[in-house]
Amino acid sequence: MNVPTPTDTTALLELRDLCLSFQQRRQLAVDRVSLRITAGRSLGLVGASGSGKSSIARAILRLLEPDSGEILFRGEDMSRMNPRQLKSARQRIQLVFQDPSVSLSPRRTIRQTLLEPLEHFAIGDADYRRGKITRTLQTVGLGKSALERYPHQFSSGQQQRIAIARALVTNPELLIADEAVASLDVSIQAQILQLVQKLQRDFGITFLFISHDLAVIRQIADEVAVLYRGQLLEQSPADRFFSRPAHPYSRILLSYAVGENAPNRNTGQWSLERSRTASANTDKCVFAEFCPDKMAVCGNVEPVLSQLHDESQPVLGPHCVKCHLYDETASDEN
Amino acid sequence: MNTPALKVKNLSVWLASGSGRIPVVDGISFSINAGEATGLVGESGCGKTMTAKAIMGQLPVTGIGVSADAIEVEGRDIYKLKAGQKRAVLGRDIAMIFQQPATALDPVFTLGQQISAVYRRHCGGSRRQARQTMLEALRGVGFSQAEDIAGVYPHQLSGGMRQLAMIAMATVCKPAVIIADEPTTALDNSSRALILQQLRQLQTSRQTAILYISHDLSVVRQTCRDVMVMYCGRIMETADCQSLFSHPRHPYSAGLLACIPQLGKTRPAPIRSIPGQVPAAADLPAGCHFAPRCDRAVAQCRESVPELDASGGRGAACFRPL
Repeated sequence: MNVPTPTDTTALLELRDLCLSFQQRRQLAVDRVSLRITAGRSLGLVGASGSGKSSIARAILRLLEPDSGEILFRGEDMSRMNPRQLKSARQRIQLVFQDPSVSLSPRRTIRQTLLEPLEHFAIGDADYRRGKITRTLQTVGLGKSALERYPHQFSSGQQQRIAIARALVTNPELLIADEAVASLDVSIQAQILQLVQKLQRDFGITFLFISHDLAVIRQIADEVAVLYRGQLLEQSPADRFFSRPAHPYSRILLSYAVGENAPNRNTGQWSLERSRTASANTDKCVFAEFCPDKMAVCGNVEPVLSQLHDESQPVLGPHCVKCHLYDETASDEN
Repeated sequence: MNTPALKVKNLSVWLASGSGRIPVVDGISFSINAGEATGLVGESGCGKTMTAKAIMGQLPVTGIGVSADAIEVEGRDIYKLKAGQKRAVLGRDIAMIFQQPATALDPVFTLGQQISAVYRRHCGGSRRQARQTMLEALRGVGFSQAEDIAGVYPHQLSGGMRQLAMIAMATVCKPAVIIADEPTTALDNSSRALILQQLRQLQTSRQTAILYISHDLSVVRQTCRDVMVMYCGRIMETADCQSLFSHPRHPYSAGLLACIPQLGKTRPAPIRSIPGQVPAAADLPAGCHFAPRCDRAVAQCRESVPELDASGGRGAACFRPL
C-alpha cells in the first residue's frame, strides 16, 4: 500500500474553480471553489447545511457532473478522464456516507457487501479477497463472526464501521467522509472518531472530512476549509483556524460552536435563505449582507481568495481568505 | 412551594413480548417548575423518547404497556384522564417538538393552515382570531415576514425554518410545558443556535417549562439548568448542569462527558469513548445496568440495584460514585 509520509507536500487532490449547478443552472451549489488537499494531511470541510459541502464531495467522484473547473487527483484531471481511467481513480478515492442504515444494502451479508468493491475493481484472487476482508474488518474493530450477518443485526456504530470497512477494502488514498458521524450518538461518535484517528496514524490515509460540527473537525483535521453558499471563504491550517480564524464568517461559526454567542435576529436569518441563482451578480462579497465587519467596498467588489502574507510564524500549508479585510491595500488586521 | 408545571411519578414503560415484559423505562420520577428547563440525556435506546411519548400519550395501545403513579401538568393528573379529556389537554397545556419537522408537519397543508387548525381545535375562536394568533406565533419565533411564511408548504423551507415553524405550532396555544425531543439534532450549527435561542426565550418570557431530550450533553448545557442522565431506562444521575460538567458523580455521566469533542486552540488529546455497548433491553444485566461497562464496578454492583436519592437536588444511582 502506498503510504505517503507526512512531509510529502504534493497535492493529492486539487480543485480549481469548480462550479456545479442544479436545475438547468438555476441554482448554483458550488461557486468557483479552489482548494488543495495535501497527501497525509486531512482536510475538514465545514459550512451550514446547503452550503455545497456534499455537492463538492460528489463532484470529486463525478457522481455529479461539474459545470466547469478542474478536479486534479495526483495531477490528473478527473473531469477529463475516460470511463476506464475514472474507474481506476475511484478505486483510490472512496466515500463514506452519513447514515449507514441507508448506505448499506439490507439484503446483503457483510461478506457480500465487502466483497463487491474488490470484484468491481478486479482486485486480487479469491484467497487475497478472503484475507483482505477479514483484515479490514479487524482494522475497524469487528470480528470474523460479522461476515455472515446482515446490517440490521448491528448497532448504528457498528454499521458505520462496516461502511468504513467497505470504503477501506480497496486501499484508497483519499477517504471522503460526508457527515459520517452526524447521525450517531456522542458516545458512538467518539468511537468512530477514534477509528478515524487510527486510520490516519497507522495507514496514512488522507481524509476529506465533511461536517457541520467544528468540534468534530478539531479532533481529526490538519486543515480547515469554510464554505458559505457555495463559495470557499477560508482555508487554513487547523491550529491557526481554531486560534485565529481570519474570515468574519469563520469567527461567527466558531463562536456558535463554543456556544458563547447566539445569533442576533439579522445574522440568524442567513440560515433561512440560502439558495442562490446562477445568475446572481458577482459584484459583491457573498457574505456582505450579514457581515459584522462590512465595509463600503464589500457591497461593490467581490473579494478574491488570496494567500495571507503577514505571517509572524511559518505555518504548514496555505492560509487563504476571501475577504476585503485582508486586501493588500487595506489594513491587515481589522 | 409552587406546583411544578410537570411532575412525573414512577413512570414505567415496557414492551409486551411472548416471554414477558421487556422494561424500556423503569420507574422514573421527576418534576420541572414553570420557567425551568431540564435536560434528559442518554444514548439511543435508553428510553428518552419512550418517556416523552408516554407522557404525551402517544404510544401505541397494543404491545406496549405504561404505568405511572401520576403524570401531573400544573397539578392536574393527566395520566388518569379519559381519552377524550386527555386529547383536550395534549397539545394545549403540554406540547411536543419532534426531531424531524419534515415528517411531523403535513406536506399538503400550508404552515398557516396547520398552525391555525391546532389553535382552533384547542382554543376555539373565529377563523380570523386563529389567523391572528397563528401570525403572532410565527412572529414569536423570529419570522419577520409571518404572512409570507404562513402561505408556504413545509417542503419549501429549510430544516432550520421547519423546526422554527414546528415551535410556532407547539406554542400557538401557549402551553405550560413543552417536550422537545432532539429538536436540533438534524440541524447545522447556526440553525441550532437559533432554535436554542427561541427555546430559551419561551422559558423566560412565557415561563414555559421545557423537558429537553438529547443525546448531546453540550447542547443541554446551553439550554437547561438541570439535567437527568438516563441509561437503560433508569435515571443514573440528576444534577444541575454546572455540577454535572465539573464533577460528574456517576461513572456513566463521566464517560459521556469524555466523549464530547473539545474545541481548543491546540489540537486536543485523542478522544475517549465508553468501552462496550448499550445492552439490549431484552437482555439487561442484573444489578446496576452499567456495571459491565464500568471500570469501578464491584461485586455489589452486579447483584443489587443502586437507588437514586435525589433529595437536595443532585444524586447518583451508584454504589461507588466518583
